[in-house]
Amino acid sequence: MTIREKGYAHWEGQLQERRFPWTPITWLGIRLAFKKKYFKFIIFSSLVPAVVFLVGIYISERIEDFQSMFRGNRQLLEVNPAYFKTYLCGDFLLFMMVMILVVSGAGLISDDLKHNSLQLYFARPLSKRDYLLGKANVIVFFLLLLTLIPGLVFIIFKLLFAGNFQFLASFPWLPLSVIGYSLFVTGFFCAYTLLLSSLSKNRRYVSILIFTVYLFSDILFGFFYENYKNPAFALISLKANLQQVGSWFFRLKPAYAFPWYWSLLILLAFGIAAALVLNKKVRGVEVVK
Amino acid sequence: MIAEISDLHFSYGRIKALDGISLSLAEGAIGLLGPNGAGKSTLLRILLGFLAPQRGQGRVLGFDIRLEQPRIRRHVGYMPEDDCLIPGMDAVTFTSHFGELSGMPRQEAMKRAHDVLFYVGLGESRYRLLETYSAGMKQRLKLAQAIVHDPKLLFLDEPTSNLDPQGRKEILELIQDISSKKDIQVLISSHILPDIESVCSEVVILNKGRLAAQGKLSELRELNYLLYEIRIKGEGDGFVSRMRALGSRVEETEDRLLRVYVPAELDIREIFRAAEEEKCQVRHFVRSQTSLEDLFARVVGVD
Amino acid sequence: MTAVIETSQLSKWYGNVLGLSDVSLEIEPGVTGLLGPNGAGKSTFLKLITGQIKPSIGAVRIFNQRVRKNQALFSRIGFCPEHDSFYEEMTGWVFLTSLLKLQGFSSVEIRSRAEKALDIVELSADKDRLIRAYSRGMRQRLKFAQAIAHDPEIIILDEPLSGLDPLGKRKLIRLIRTYREEGKTVIVSSHVLPEIEALTRSIILIHQGKVFAKGDIHYIRDLIETHPHMVSIRCSDPRGLAGLLLGEGCVLKLHFGADGRSVLVETNDRDRFFALLLSRIVQSRMDIEEITSPDDNLQAVFDYLVGK
Repeated sequence: MTIREKGYAHWEGQLQERRFPWTPITWLGIRLAFKKKYFKFIIFSSLVPAVVFLVGIYISERIEDFQSMFRGNRQLLEVNPAYFKTYLCGDFLLFMMVMILVVSGAGLISDDLKHNSLQLYFARPLSKRDYLLGKANVIVFFLLLLTLIPGLVFIIFKLLFAGNFQFLASFPWLPLSVIGYSLFVTGFFCAYTLLLSSLSKNRRYVSILIFTVYLFSDILFGFFYENYKNPAFALISLKANLQQVGSWFFRLKPAYAFPWYWSLLILLAFGIAAALVLNKKVRGVEVVK
Repeated sequence: MIAEISDLHFSYGRIKALDGISLSLAEGAIGLLGPNGAGKSTLLRILLGFLAPQRGQGRVLGFDIRLEQPRIRRHVGYMPEDDCLIPGMDAVTFTSHFGELSGMPRQEAMKRAHDVLFYVGLGESRYRLLETYSAGMKQRLKLAQAIVHDPKLLFLDEPTSNLDPQGRKEILELIQDISSKKDIQVLISSHILPDIESVCSEVVILNKGRLAAQGKLSELRELNYLLYEIRIKGEGDGFVSRMRALGSRVEETEDRLLRVYVPAELDIREIFRAAEEEKCQVRHFVRSQTSLEDLFARVVGVD
Repeated sequence: MTAVIETSQLSKWYGNVLGLSDVSLEIEPGVTGLLGPNGAGKSTFLKLITGQIKPSIGAVRIFNQRVRKNQALFSRIGFCPEHDSFYEEMTGWVFLTSLLKLQGFSSVEIRSRAEKALDIVELSADKDRLIRAYSRGMRQRLKFAQAIAHDPEIIILDEPLSGLDPLGKRKLIRLIRTYREEGKTVIVSSHVLPEIEALTRSIILIHQGKVFAKGDIHYIRDLIETHPHMVSIRCSDPRGLAGLLLGEGCVLKLHFGADGRSVLVETNDRDRFFALLLSRIVQSRMDIEEITSPDDNLQAVFDYLVGK
């Protein structure tokens, strides 16, 4: 017979090194995002385009059945790279992605700065890289859910509905494009969000920033374009830049009359800024004052 | 041997923070003291594996302080001075999260988080959101996340600051319980000397980047065999003159405490006899020793 | 001794949250310690006596004048708050001199007072640095400087020793003792009970908005009847000594120390017990190492009155 001793008890286990030390941070970020109000609604709404486009793929295969409904509109439902680009670079989808960033991403670093939790993180065997990777992967999780997964699902279902591999034979590079573009847009948004999140200790302020910078850049572009009619103003708008690069990924003509790599440079600039700022803001050595 | 370092030097730019520190820490609770700017934080950063010294080497928990820093951090628990929490979570999620980050498997971290929260006294409130916690509870939570992964070295930075008297007492009791266990070394940095005195058996005093004193409290404090603190009730004058007649020097402090410097050959029992004959009661009788405060002042060399 | 601060039936509610309830007391010159758990009402009390807020019921009088809307009185009171609220862009010197200007001194006096105050707190070397660059200890000292620069007769200090290293604490304690000698009235509020004990024996304990105890620590201890006094005796033969004490009624309990060299006695009558103890010691010619009263300190008084 034994009784449990009162007082401090040791833990009889072994501390292990994880392959990816940052996974708890990512899971926590995802859980915290789902706890926020309206987040489930936002995720749900952002999946609506995916559903619509999936149905569109189905319809395009069974076009004969729906002949009566779509007399003369056949080209609308042709599933080709432009179809993918329309989905992935759609205004609505991009906007919903920004909303997801606001809810799940605004507090990622700003909360830790405000509540001093960086000390607790870096007192663990965690490097700065691991920490940032863990935080970024929260965003990666949600954004890939909206871009990569539907993109690949579309391809698979197109093949399934068609019953043959003709689609892939015509556009063999399409899966790579889907993957490439998804990673690109996700990577950009990660840099964008983490950069803004580390700039302030106030999560609300960061959420406003994330939302407004995106929206405002587009409005500003619209304003200048209306007045001066020069397509180069599209470089101001984040959305337009993303769409330009998207067009390149899907081998389409870009919407605005300037080379796509200018947009790429602008977006990469964000990435560099993010790297510099994050490196400075997230300091482990400040842990012990 | 928990930590052994030799000849550590570190400078921030031109400011020399550590100027050749060598020390070895054995088991038990050790107090780290020093005036502000003495180099305590720098020493701690090096011991915790955040900073590599510019000169000198050492081993903490058997790991090299330059080459194996992440491994040191795996086995160290740190309780910071400032408030720190993650909003939107409850205590269990918070504690197990940090347990996981230290390398515990998910379920183990969860299990241990519950145990540890009960231990620090947050059992009843462990499902409540952290934003609702009072100052004392936040302090305990910090302690919980520091011990969840069963570290071999626990570092506490001002563990009793901002706590009310009850909170202070409870945290000190927890620390005493933890330091009484073998296999866990506790290092406490604090400016509140009575707390260090009640919990630690050894102290390290730093000053201006150097080691000013190190050793067991009982040895450093030097029992002064010839000085007694006595408080009596009754007519003091008669007693005092008797003491003087016996060859002692008597001083009275503010608190009506008598400090009696007794000649070496005096039989202590004479003191009690004198008291009885003068119709006094002896209510306090202690062999005086240097307080930690006096030791600190003497060692740091100011005053 | 005439009372410097008098309160009568002082009470304050914030909506339906209790701040202070029915506090009537007098504070005399000298050092008084103010203690209590968090949320007990200490800050409310201090704000009421410095006239920062209006009581819901009752009144405060200082030097027999009312405190509210009595600007002239404030030049005789110095207040050192617990939290920092500095203008970070100012230098220490500018901060101190601006506050002195508000007191209405001439510029010559302002200079000399500011210099003296900074000298006392040992910030003279850093007076021209921005407060933003000050360390925690320096901020604490600056706060103290502004509390004493105008030579007030009443000094109220809320956690004055926090942030200071042990030497700084010692100097501040000595300084407060000199104020006591000068006949000033000092109120020190602190959570760190050993620090209060180093400053004064006279305390006010506030809990749940009421005054649970006021007066000399040892006297209060005597009044706490429900907890018998403990006396610890270290000697070479504790059991032998215990045997000699067992027969008397004033000995309630005996508890032997784990190391076999001490005995802890509980007694309800200290007078009888100590007289008894002394006679037994002398009779038996026993070697005594130490006699102490472990619960005759502030922490024990606090626990008995407030604890669960």
